[in-house]
Amino acid sequence: MSRLLGVIPWVISQKGAALADISKRFDYPENQLVEDLTGVVFFVGVDPFTPDQLIEVDIADGEVMITNADWFSKPLRLTPNEGARLLTAGHSFLDTHISNSDSEGEAGPLLRALTKLGMALANSKDADASHDVVEVRLGSASKDMLSILKQAQAQREKVEISYYSIGRDKLTKRIIEPQAVFSDFGAWYVQGWCEKAVAERTFRVDRIQSIMSTGEAQQNWPQGPRDMAAFTPSETASKVVLSLEPHLSWVGSHYPTTSTKTDDEGRIIVSFLVSEVRWLERLLLRLGKAAQIVSIDPPLGPNVASTAAKRVLKRYQGASQ
Amino acid sequence: MEKLERLLNLTAALLNTERPLSAEQLKRGVGGYPKAKASFRRTFERDKSDLRKMGIPLRTMPVPGVDPPVDGYRIFRSEYTGAEIQLAPDELAALHLAANFVRLNQGEAGLHKFGKAGEEFEPASVGKVPFDERLTTLISAAANRRAISFEYGDAKSRAKREVEPWRLSFARGHWYLSGWDKERLAERLFRLDRIQGELLDVGEATSPKQSTVDPSKLLSWELGEGEPIEVRVAVDADQISYLRYLIGQSSDNMEGEEAGIVRFKVRNREAFRSFVLTFLEHAEVLDPPEMRADIISWLEAQT
Repeated sequence: MSRLLGVIPWVISQKGAALADISKRFDYPENQLVEDLTGVVFFVGVDPFTPDQLIEVDIADGEVMITNADWFSKPLRLTPNEGARLLTAGHSFLDTHISNSDSEGEAGPLLRALTKLGMALANSKDADASHDVVEVRLGSASKDMLSILKQAQAQREKVEISYYSIGRDKLTKRIIEPQAVFSDFGAWYVQGWCEKAVAERTFRVDRIQSIMSTGEAQQNWPQGPRDMAAFTPSETASKVVLSLEPHLSWVGSHYPTTSTKTDDEGRIIVSFLVSEVRWLERLLLRLGKAAQIVSIDPPLGPNVASTAAKRVLKRYQGASQ
Repeated sequence: MEKLERLLNLTAALLNTERPLSAEQLKRGVGGYPKAKASFRRTFERDKSDLRKMGIPLRTMPVPGVDPPVDGYRIFRSEYTGAEIQLAPDELAALHLAANFVRLNQGEAGLHKFGKAGEEFEPASVGKVPFDERLTTLISAAANRRAISFEYGDAKSRAKREVEPWRLSFARGHWYLSGWDKERLAERLFRLDRIQGELLDVGEATSPKQSTVDPSKLLSWELGEGEPIEVRVAVDADQISYLRYLIGQSSDNMEGEEAGIVRFKVRNREAFRSFVLTFLEHAEVLDPPEMRADIISWLEAQT
């Protein structure tokens, strides 16, 4: 019905439209469109539903004319929700695709659209009003780095990167095949085949220290749909279940958890797949006693938090001597 | 009569009328409703809910001149259309591109109401941004210059705040609200996940909008009330460039590369502690003594 509420005013504003054009614009298969226009809209109107009170639909030679549909002559508004989402989507796109040096060029149409959207949301004629009430930064990776990666992806080329691995706690050089570049949890990631791991891996772009195009063609482009996950667990990953105090509920949406739920006492139970114990150590030390380990399978060592805490404490005790 | 026809007739009736129509009048005037009272009621309630879900502003108001009072329904055309947005083809195409690029969890962006403009293609990269309905309330409040009240804080401490929202920013994976704090008479930044309870409209905003705060540049431990303390941290050499990535700073906070000592301005100890522990044993808080003691006791509690 939502689609029809878009079709009717558009056809009226165009003073008639071709079936093929309507179908394309509103993603409406032609046969369904004809059926809905002639079998439903044609019978729509108001009490007493005499011919003068019914919508007139005329289809001839593939052209549609609609008249006597005064109530639907204007399109349905965007709800505040839809408006807010569009504004957010628009600003996310601006953040990623438009560099500061380029303004009117690429960004022109989008900025104009967002200004109009802002005015509509604010019910204001003032263009200054409010399109910048939303701002989105999808990640802190440099635009240059992102553009090299996207180019490597588009041209299916390998790159050599120098990467700081949190899990391994050091810098490593790797040759990778960028196959997907995406943002999640407020950070940019590149996913693809890693020659060092001999498997698909996901890397955080802001931990790539340096990058060099190798000029070589990628060899491991996968078939089928891609799951753009911020974390590709290795085959030996452990399933970690933590029980968190209620105020840590943000953890569930800030990290790639495999499941999040609340138990009867209001504690948040989150599950992760973890390949590197260092990653878990960092998380646990930062969250403190408000996070309790429920289970780690297979185990990542005895009492992860305590071991890590002791190791860090050693440094503090060493200096005081 | 199929449901689609009935819904369209119902919408037409509600738009056409100049005064609120009761359920009985709609049952007679729209047609296609079951005769039995209970089934009519159920169907009618579902229809109203369906229309509202589409964003149709279906209003409930008493039918005038009737006693005992009876619920009436209508749609005001000005509300149905809202502020008209005329988008040129390239503007519509740009919005579609943006909507395809970003995945906001659940919910439609409503672009289908405008139709498409030209070919669509799979974008080369995808961004995911978490979105919840409170953002809609706050974005609308910022756009319409309204003041909002809410409870702010976590399990340990919570306080009522009254704020005139200026901007919603997504940075570092969190949503932030920047706006005018009506009590403190200054700009403040709030993290959305610490905003609790209901968001209440408390009137028109009166402060002029002049935001100087950029959440993406602010470091979490710099936020808060009062004077900051300067904290010195020793950081291993091979972690320095990683640290730079994290704080996005130039080296004016570094005492000297070889010395590997970094200075921070801290107002929020909890946030700072969390940051330092990211480096595990590769960083050490040197002074002031109370910050050092804070980290030590935090760690000792976990051994």
